[in-house]
Amino acid sequence: MTTAVQGSRSRLPVLDRRWLTPIGVVLALVGAFLLMYLGSCSTVGAGTCDRFSQGEDQFINALTVGGMYALIALGYTMVYGIIELINFAHGEVFMCGSFVSWGLLTNLGFTGPISDPLLLAGVLVLAFLVSMVVMGVVGVVIERLAYRPLRNAPRLTPLITAIGVSFILQNIIFVGISNSFVNSPQIIPNPLLELGAIHIRLINLFVIVLTLGLMTALHLFINRTSLGRAMRSTAIDRDAAQIMGVNINSTIALTFFIGSALAGAAGVVQGLYFGVTQFQIGFQGGLKAFTAAVLGGIGNTTGAAVGGFIIGFIEVLASTYGYGRWSEAAVFTTLVLVLVFRPTGILGQQLADRA
Amino acid sequence: MKYARVGAALTVFAVVASACSGSTASPSAAAASGGASGGTGATINVKVGIELPMTGGEAPNGVPTANGVALALSQIQVPGFNITINQQDDAVNGKHSADQGAKNMSALANDPSVLFVVGPYNSNVAQAEIPVSNAAGLMQCSPANTAVGLTKGDAAKALRKTYPDKIAYVRVATTDDNQGAGTADIAYNIANAKTAYVLDDTQTYGKGLADGFEAAYKVFGGTVAKRDGVPDSTTDFNSYVTTLKSLNPGIIMYGGVTTSGIGLFRKQMAQQGLATIPLVGGDGISDGSAATPSSYLNIAGPDGDANSYSTVAAIHDIPDPAKFSNDYKAKFNSDPGAYSAPGYACTQIFLEALKAVSPGVTDLGKLREAVRAYVADPTHTFDTVLGKVGFDANGDTTQHTISYYQFDPTTKDWKFLKQRDFTADPVK
Amino acid sequence: MSAAMNRAAGPRQTLGLRRFMGRHQSLSILVLAIIVAVALPLVVTLPIISGFGIQKDWVTGFAQAGVFVLLALGLNVVVGFAGLLDLGYAAFFAIGAYTFAYAASGFTGLDFPFWPMLLVGAGVAAIFGVLLGAPTLRLRGDYLAIVTLGFGEIVPVVFNNADTYTNGTNGITGISQPSLYGLAGIYGFGFTNPYLYYITVFVIITLVIMLLYRLQDSRIGRAWVAIREDELAAASMGINTVTTKLLAFAIGASTAGLAGVFYSAKLSSVTPDQFKFDVSFTALAMVVLGGMGNIWGVAAGALIVYELQSQGLKQLDQFMHALNLPAIALGPLVINLSQINYINFQNLLYGLALALMMLLRPEGLFPSRRRRRELHEEPASDELASPDATGERE
Repeated sequence: MTTAVQGSRSRLPVLDRRWLTPIGVVLALVGAFLLMYLGSCSTVGAGTCDRFSQGEDQFINALTVGGMYALIALGYTMVYGIIELINFAHGEVFMCGSFVSWGLLTNLGFTGPISDPLLLAGVLVLAFLVSMVVMGVVGVVIERLAYRPLRNAPRLTPLITAIGVSFILQNIIFVGISNSFVNSPQIIPNPLLELGAIHIRLINLFVIVLTLGLMTALHLFINRTSLGRAMRSTAIDRDAAQIMGVNINSTIALTFFIGSALAGAAGVVQGLYFGVTQFQIGFQGGLKAFTAAVLGGIGNTTGAAVGGFIIGFIEVLASTYGYGRWSEAAVFTTLVLVLVFRPTGILGQQLADRA
Repeated sequence: MKYARVGAALTVFAVVASACSGSTASPSAAAASGGASGGTGATINVKVGIELPMTGGEAPNGVPTANGVALALSQIQVPGFNITINQQDDAVNGKHSADQGAKNMSALANDPSVLFVVGPYNSNVAQAEIPVSNAAGLMQCSPANTAVGLTKGDAAKALRKTYPDKIAYVRVATTDDNQGAGTADIAYNIANAKTAYVLDDTQTYGKGLADGFEAAYKVFGGTVAKRDGVPDSTTDFNSYVTTLKSLNPGIIMYGGVTTSGIGLFRKQMAQQGLATIPLVGGDGISDGSAATPSSYLNIAGPDGDANSYSTVAAIHDIPDPAKFSNDYKAKFNSDPGAYSAPGYACTQIFLEALKAVSPGVTDLGKLREAVRAYVADPTHTFDTVLGKVGFDANGDTTQHTISYYQFDPTTKDWKFLKQRDFTADPVK
Repeated sequence: MSAAMNRAAGPRQTLGLRRFMGRHQSLSILVLAIIVAVALPLVVTLPIISGFGIQKDWVTGFAQAGVFVLLALGLNVVVGFAGLLDLGYAAFFAIGAYTFAYAASGFTGLDFPFWPMLLVGAGVAAIFGVLLGAPTLRLRGDYLAIVTLGFGEIVPVVFNNADTYTNGTNGITGISQPSLYGLAGIYGFGFTNPYLYYITVFVIITLVIMLLYRLQDSRIGRAWVAIREDELAAASMGINTVTTKLLAFAIGASTAGLAGVFYSAKLSSVTPDQFKFDVSFTALAMVVLGGMGNIWGVAAGALIVYELQSQGLKQLDQFMHALNLPAIALGPLVINLSQINYINFQNLLYGLALALMMLLRPEGLFPSRRRRRELHEEPASDELASPDATGERE
């Protein structure tokens, strides 16, 4: 999934190739901040509005929501990488995850912030663990029932079952729990932290750190463990992997487990950050995440993360500049432009040419 | 083996369905039992059509409205008639669909026993239905539509294509321009806000209401600091909140409904410590107290939202306003929605018309036309749960009164402030 | 691919009827279409089916289903014939609908007649098909899918927000209806008579099917199949992949344009929210469920999915309550099938139906002969699988 970048870049004389990525990331972040800075305070006199803190707030907003998209996008891209299926039900897994954490936290009797740090940490670990495991299992069950029987069917067939499954998941919540918004307990206290010049709320910091942590863990898992190697080899050539002794069925099931667990984690984040969930959020979340996965280069986990953050930034930029009603159009226009110039996404390999 | 799986899936469904059906009594079943008791001797079986979004994200709007109709039918009997419900749902793939609405309207028109229709909820659906109801001569009463173009002007004439002078669509809510003026009145004169941040949900109702607000607010002398739209599927309002922080407006005006996520917006404002800025919205957000699940106040914060104002396009000083919500609660075990009372009112209008025209008429086709003509006649007024309602030559309610509400922290519910009749007292 | 060669080389086992149909293809299509058109309104008067609505209701539904049949037929050209996965097909539907809305409503003050506008709408949609198709030509497989999905999302947003040009969320109303100008005593089609629309849409569908059959068997049709199976090989055989792909987009889009014109004329109003992503994926589900590449199968799939969603499940409540079934006791559980509120469950049932139909018939309900052969005669030919979006998977 994440083979080393090759090609013309290594011919650059001055810079060592391994510095390119960090430099690119820093440049992109600075550029993004600059855009936010310039867009802020567009209708107010300079004296009454602190452009820097405005830009900073928007920057953090974008990182947080982008991180959530990235978590969902990872599952999309992993599933795509291994069985080339656009799993339209993945957004609904995210939505169900948010309901699992809602159910857990409300049943434990929490309604507001928990001030005891130990208890808070315990509850958080529990919420993430439960939601991730439950959704991971749900993902495996979906794969077993709806996709595995169709592994040799025409490629679009599982796409339609995926749509069917997403209808089913949505409406189980619709019929069984609520047809509208439900309040999800925001158990993390909400102080404004001041780390030097940076002002950030605890919840934003938590979401950003958690997202990066889960991504790193996933990256290490895929690249450093034997199970991860099995996943990579199955993605590259299923038959060859099978011959080399990889159990294809369990590897694919594992992929679904991890991808769905990450979506479950994103669901918990939804509840903690926004404090609300609803049975239809999966569609938009899934669509954005799918876009993110493709933007980054579908099948590429780093790309999915990058894509998620980019989409978060575009959405926030649109509203920063006062064009919130065009935010969806802005996201998809960027996507079209990126793909026109880089047909396999920002970090994509020549995946689609593979037989 | 494959078929065994199908069988298993169906069995699971049947079990789940029956387990859930205990709590969610279908409105048609409920009404059937209520209506049957009223009959004496030779009764005529007639139906009220309900055409609302009943599934998907708009179910919270449609279901309580349909319940309002069922409640009215169970409480009010018309001698000689057994009135049941023909329930239609215009949501397809989880959202309202204009062509499904038109199809449902045709189905209702094709059912000769349907004499009256309550619905639709969305203006976009109404645009597709008005030509059908007009051609079929079947009176429909919308509990919720407020878009100006549905009844007034050339656009409305074009909708009534078959019989431009025959009104077959009335509505009990007054139009966006009046309600927008009401929200502007609150903002400028009650909340004393001279600058406003206007946000709409990019949908017909929200945009129309926000436009109405802007127009009137400028007449009052206020300044719109910024106008933006937020797509109705948005859950992340934080970037709007940050923008809001820099503007620091006197008030926020939101054009939209609770299901578009305004409660979330308010919640995220509170999180960033900005809930001190007041917010005003239309009847799309006055959908129950802080204790009502999923209502605006319920989502906005654990204790509601201290600085919220809302308007309702109806008069407030009706006899015994609490009776309706108590009756509703007793029957459906939940608080009424924003449009339950208008749904009830529409049904009352029908029942009153039916009572007036029915003596001596048994032919269903003649009854349908008689009901239509009676309701459309501008000289008639109807006693409803929304007060006295009559309709002008376009089918608009003659009641242009807007009631103002403010959140009351002690009851955690909306508290009536005042009402203003925009016919007698227009914005100058 | 070798399956295709087998078919071309092997002797065709033909019955007399089949030979006749092969020689007089358009005539056969016409006859078949007339049979279906007459049979459908009769079938729905049969018991059980009539429990879901009277004949007029069903015909209203069929006229509307015709729109989706057209959409599915057009999408089938792009997805089924040429193998290009298009997830934003509703955009062309919207463009066709708005074209007629501009040409015949009070919004612009114009009043062009419906019949020639059918062709204009198809033409405008085809132009947009080429315009939106052009930037995607370099893209392969699912990257193409997401770009088309992007276009499908952008178009309604533009119609929604460009108030000055599109009247925004309120859309355009008072669109003219089709008229026969007094022919057979018929002027405007009105809003209460579904039969006129039913016949009109059947005529349009029949013509489209005739054209599609001719295209399928033409040089272009074979070029599409070649591109679908192996783009590289097709290009090296001298097929101009650029024009061939663009032609698929254009023809697919023009069919959606036709559907759009008919749709807006019938409904008499268009608003942006009628053309969102759900239309695109419903059309795709119709194509795949019907049997990709099989023209009649796709049409049948569209009808089945539409009727399931908009008539069957919507009226299930009325139907089941009218049946008044006795309660079934399963041990401690008592299931009363007549008391369930089916309106709540319709989307759940729809999802179940979609998933189960695909699981039971992975190639679609009516797979094309060609695909059936690929799947059942050569289950081991994995290495020949095509890499494109819609080909067989590894």
